[in-house]
Amino acid sequence: MTIAWRLLGFCGLWLIFTGWNPGSWMIGVPSVLLATWAYGQLVGDSRAPSAARTLGFVLFFLRESVRAGVDVASRILRPRMRISPGFQTYRMRLADPSARVLFIDSISLLPGTLSADLVHREEIRVHALDATLDLAPELADLERRVGRLFGEELTKEKHGHV
Amino acid sequence: MSEIFTAAAVVLVLTMAAGLVRVVVGPTPADRMMGVQLIGTTGIAVLLLLGFAFEMPALADVALVFALLAAVSVTALTRRRVGQDRS
Amino acid sequence: MEILLETVSLLLVGAGAFFFAVGTLGLVRLPDLFCRLHALTKADNLGLGLVIAGLLPWAADPFLALKLVLIWLLVMLSGATGSYLIAKRALRGDGEDLLE
Repeated sequence: MTIAWRLLGFCGLWLIFTGWNPGSWMIGVPSVLLATWAYGQLVGDSRAPSAARTLGFVLFFLRESVRAGVDVASRILRPRMRISPGFQTYRMRLADPSARVLFIDSISLLPGTLSADLVHREEIRVHALDATLDLAPELADLERRVGRLFGEELTKEKHGHV
Repeated sequence: MSEIFTAAAVVLVLTMAAGLVRVVVGPTPADRMMGVQLIGTTGIAVLLLLGFAFEMPALADVALVFALLAAVSVTALTRRRVGQDRS
Repeated sequence: MEILLETVSLLLVGAGAFFFAVGTLGLVRLPDLFCRLHALTKADNLGLGLVIAGLLPWAADPFLALKLVLIWLLVMLSGATGSYLIAKRALRGDGEDLLE
């Protein structure tokens, strides 16, 4: 079943690339098959998020992206830049490989934070433009949202500093 | 509308020129790479704007290739190690 | 209707150009590599996103519109992953940067 969805996805991608052009499938069909095979090799058996949850996360992500841009712009545009950069460590609880990648990438795109390194498979070193704030609550919220997207329920406890 | 898109493209080309400062100053190769990355993304925006202004949809394909190459180039840089390709 | 659409487009493209300009300024002004990465990833993401949002209503066919969204997704993905790789390499100091 997952294979069928992946095939369909790559066919859609090919349609976006070439438009409505029947001749292009000469190259399209082998490419789609190869891409589906390679994707299976790379990703393994990761759960796929549901459509409704994806929409919810996309809306959250767009809102936070705008907040991140405005935040970084307001810091840069002051005559004396309002930054006190530093590092904090966050213990990640997500287990699903795709969820972990999405979480680490999202940290970098959201306000004031940047994931810099992963130590011992679960400790993320996060760089902050303003390290005087405690990042843990916001990161835990993001982690819960990413977890929910992949059907992983995280409890409120045991997040935070190491 | 195409005048507006062209004007925006001109503004973006100017910011690309400003971004060259970081590429020249450095100091580390990673800093230069970041300058190149920002110039690349701005270039993608310029291509798309011009593609719409002059009704050349093929420029969107050029932009797509730029986006793909950006990921490869950053990864390639970070895979370099001390002492590699010095002669 | 047309004029409303044009105004919205103008605002979005203008805002996109603004964030590109701010990102470039940040890249030049900010004091160290990690801070510059912040400016780079956020300006990349939001600047291109807004420009593309402004262009979307004028796309001739849905395939072109989807292609634009795909370009944005790719840039976002490569921006986030690239910044992680650059930051990690700088933290661990195992790149050739140390020789400079």
